[in-house]
Amino acid sequence: MPRLARLFIKTGLIYFLVSLLLGLAAEFKWLTFPGITPLFWHLLMVGWITQIIFGVSMWMFPGRTREEGFWPQKWGWLTYIMLNVGLICRVIAEPASYASSAGLWNILIVISAVGQVAAAVTYTIELWPRIQSKEQRRRQRKKKRQKSNN
Amino acid sequence: MPTPSRWMIKASFIYLLVGFFIGALILVSKAYPAFTGIWSLLAVHIEVSIFGWIIQLTMGTAYWILPRYLVKPSRGNPILAIAMVALLNLGILINVASYLDLIAPSATIVGRLFEIGSVILFIGLHWNRAITYNK
Repeated sequence: MPRLARLFIKTGLIYFLVSLLLGLAAEFKWLTFPGITPLFWHLLMVGWITQIIFGVSMWMFPGRTREEGFWPQKWGWLTYIMLNVGLICRVIAEPASYASSAGLWNILIVISAVGQVAAAVTYTIELWPRIQSKEQRRRQRKKKRQKSNN
Repeated sequence: MPTPSRWMIKASFIYLLVGFFIGALILVSKAYPAFTGIWSLLAVHIEVSIFGWIIQLTMGTAYWILPRYLVKPSRGNPILAIAMVALLNLGILINVASYLDLIAPSATIVGRLFEIGSVILFIGLHWNRAITYNK
């Protein structure tokens, strides 16, 4: 399994546990805090489910590059970085923004929003061209071979 | 990858972009309450992100990746597969149109029925594909 897929899956597992702990905390009045319910749902649906879909699809869908490293897999790495920067900013800033009106929290919330949308864009850039029929893949491989022969 | 899977997976990417974009606007509105009008799109955000993105991608991938039949058509009746794709997406779009007040609120009943129809077709197409050919 490529390093990036392992990272997506392991990070997703951590969010899975954290989201369920938040869900549990939300059941106790003395443990709950403002914004806990949207945090619970987003860590579960984005941090866990979307993250694991991203990781597994980048690994399992046809056409991935076998070369490890940031540049050969730049869209995948950018997806990982932006998704997780977005999620972490949200975890910090959303509850904090209820407690204090400091401008920093608003900036972090905007970074979180932009980061997550950017991750969706880079993921689509990586995966869209890889969704092909067998015939399309065969033609693409043939073209690549011809290019490398010339 | 078979055609219905390609349609479902590519459609799910479009829903991912739309769902995350609406989600981002809602999140920003928490910091800047002047944009709170965007909260009216919460139901669209949930429908598009869960049914359009997560469920549709899962269904499209399962149709592609589960073990195939040893006889043709190897993934079952392709017309039923196309109907599965059409019903799911029609259901989502009807629900979204209803949440946006473009059509009657009760249209969500039709939308959900279409989605249920798609899931019934999905189960029918995949039930016997959850199989091993090893003895």
